[in-house]
Amino acid sequence: MLFLPHWATDYLKRRDPALAGPLALYERIKGGMRLVAVDPEARQHGVRPGQSVADARALLPPLTLREIDYPLLEAGFGDLADWHSNASPLVAILTDRARFGDLVLDITGVSHLFGGEAAMLELLLQRLRACHYSVAGAIAPTIGAAWALSHFARSQVAGPEALSARLDPLPVAALRLDQNDITTLSQMGLTTIGQVRSRPRKPLQARFGAELLLRLDQAYGEVEERMTSRLPPIAHSVERRLLDPLILLDDVLAVTQDLAIRLAHDLERHGRGAQTFHLLLYRVDHKVMTLSLNAARPTRDPAHMLSLFRHRAQRLAGEYDAGFGIDMMRLAAGALEELAPTQLGAFSIPGGMEDIDRLTDRLSSRLGAPAVLRTQLKASHIPERAARLVPAIAASGVTQAAQPSLTRPLRLLPSPEPVAINAEVPDGLPASMIWRRQRYRLIRGAGPERLGAEWWRSGERLELVPPPASPDPAKAPPEPPPYIPDLKRHDPEAQTRDYYRVEDEDGRRFWVFRLGLYGGPDLPVWYLHGFFA
Amino acid sequence: MPAPDRQLRLTALRDIIADIERKPALAEAGARAILSETGFPQLPGGTVQDIFLDETRDAGAGLGFALMQARALLAGKRSAVLHLHLAPEGQALGLPYGPGLEGLIDPTRLVLVQARNAADLLWAAEEALSCQAVAAVIADMAARPKLLDFTATRRLSLRAGESGASLFFLHYGSWRQASAAQMRWRLTPERSAAQPYDDQAPGAPRWRLRLERGTLANHRTDWLLQATEKGLATLSTEPFEPNPAPAALSHALPAPLGHRLSQTA
Repeated sequence: MLFLPHWATDYLKRRDPALAGPLALYERIKGGMRLVAVDPEARQHGVRPGQSVADARALLPPLTLREIDYPLLEAGFGDLADWHSNASPLVAILTDRARFGDLVLDITGVSHLFGGEAAMLELLLQRLRACHYSVAGAIAPTIGAAWALSHFARSQVAGPEALSARLDPLPVAALRLDQNDITTLSQMGLTTIGQVRSRPRKPLQARFGAELLLRLDQAYGEVEERMTSRLPPIAHSVERRLLDPLILLDDVLAVTQDLAIRLAHDLERHGRGAQTFHLLLYRVDHKVMTLSLNAARPTRDPAHMLSLFRHRAQRLAGEYDAGFGIDMMRLAAGALEELAPTQLGAFSIPGGMEDIDRLTDRLSSRLGAPAVLRTQLKASHIPERAARLVPAIAASGVTQAAQPSLTRPLRLLPSPEPVAINAEVPDGLPASMIWRRQRYRLIRGAGPERLGAEWWRSGERLELVPPPASPDPAKAPPEPPPYIPDLKRHDPEAQTRDYYRVEDEDGRRFWVFRLGLYGGPDLPVWYLHGFFA
Repeated sequence: MPAPDRQLRLTALRDIIADIERKPALAEAGARAILSETGFPQLPGGTVQDIFLDETRDAGAGLGFALMQARALLAGKRSAVLHLHLAPEGQALGLPYGPGLEGLIDPTRLVLVQARNAADLLWAAEEALSCQAVAAVIADMAARPKLLDFTATRRLSLRAGESGASLFFLHYGSWRQASAAQMRWRLTPERSAAQPYDDQAPGAPRWRLRLERGTLANHRTDWLLQATEKGLATLSTEPFEPNPAPAALSHALPAPLGHRLSQTA
């Protein structure tokens, strides 16, 4: 557990070296401006979080004041947390009491790499302090205990045997409780955790609810508390620490090749292949860049991995920013599946499909997965639903619906285009057409092929589809669909389509349809939907 | 007279030039083009062909012709056909539609690639050509591509010659520009064949085809083709005319019902 009490102000000062002297951040709450974060220098002069801005200015005239920018700070803290995955693969941000500042690392089975728990804690603290972050840390058997120790005691390592001796003298606030509960407890005369623990549990539960007991049990390890790692769980990974930070993308790819070969050996020893690969680049300035990609089928072929990363890197050329250099790289494999050790590559299935899958992998790694598509046939009589285009990466192993053989066009317009059609008699063959401001005389035609709408939905009220969620939910909250009081009911008759195959005098063959029937409330509309060969 | 001698020297020189140009695919195309039973030569893989259509509304014909050729190249390990197009042009040209392809190729063998710009499209074409399992690549470009100059097509034709996969460019318009493609076709749709039981209905598709660049074994340049189950069938040898004779019927067919009514009245 690492606790960075002044992270917000430290981070801003580090970002902008011109910010010197006492700094405080305020937030607008109900029209008033209240301080929420104060750096140590200001705190010495009596400035406290919760004060109003006017009071703080009066106390300390040279105080620099900034409005707090939560998304920026959260993103920055997220970067810092990701960067700490160079110490342990399982890193999480604890947001119980504050939105940033508490970092949890699961160091089970990791500490020996750093020469023991005490040395590891020392190293983690030292390297943050070297960057002028104020930080406290604790290693303890439970998340609750580590939180308590890092917030309310000196940085230390607490073993399971000394846990209650260390926790009992700490104040009750160390249990991650609400301010109200803390106040009530102190009014009852219970100021330390040990005192609370010695009380009978039933009355405590009746007075404070299950929360207090849960926190107590979590701190002492009676109840297991789980953390959710920020990075995807990684089963196999290889890493390389670099003496000299890398800047160039080509160098990064060269190291990736090394890593890919090592990862391939690793996977082969375990008889497995992977479908997702993550390349994590740890920058010197506490940021992590992640390149993730997927393969269509499990593989462990280093050459294939490298070519995928190479194409992925080409796509990102503009966004690649090594900052002051990359000092550690990790190649991780996810979505593992059994792959017999004797098998040469994952792709040795006869019939050339393996090469196609590799090709689609390469194409999607550079053009993006939604750009490489395969047709998936569906059992639907509505033409645009009968064939779905799905990303080729996701399409492997799809089953095909049986299709009756129908005359269908070679090309279909993604959305039908309205045309003006004249027919001699209302239900006769179309005689002429105007499409894209050009006139066509139609000399031949066949039809109609009547495709009814989905009658089993008749009478249902149409609904508006909610707009797709914006990629960044923090920036734009999803808007509810506009309220329209009288949406039409689904009318299968008005949605019936009569398809005609028509040919113009130059030999172009089109697929047009008429939406709706004559005699209904609305006049039918004609659309052009496809081209025949 | 040194006439036969000169002739020999000329052919020798041509061979040297062909060697310098290293067009193995074209040399092979001349030699190996099999005259299929239906009349249209079956061109071997490894060629780059420009197929020019007059307007984007003829897109269906172009795709049909390219797919007919690609179908003949699907064999053994070469099991896929790629269709490349630019993402913004999908609505103008229409996208290949699975159920409609079934007569030509298995729709699951077609991989569609939507490139954001011409550079990505050309990259994808080159990448696909170097794959051993691709039979043919069909690239749709509605607008005249600036990037597709002689160098680019040359690069692609070398790649195609090495790997044995064919590349078909579908171009739209009357422009022509320098290209290293072995063949340049001009394709126009033609009125379809008669349907046996319904003379009003469009039948099997027919196209006029003119070879504008490149040579084939029999030095023929004009075809009237009909797409059949077996492949492309040749119908006639008459010279190509961009605008065929006007239709015999200048208006839509009169309703037969009306005649009968007038007879009974």
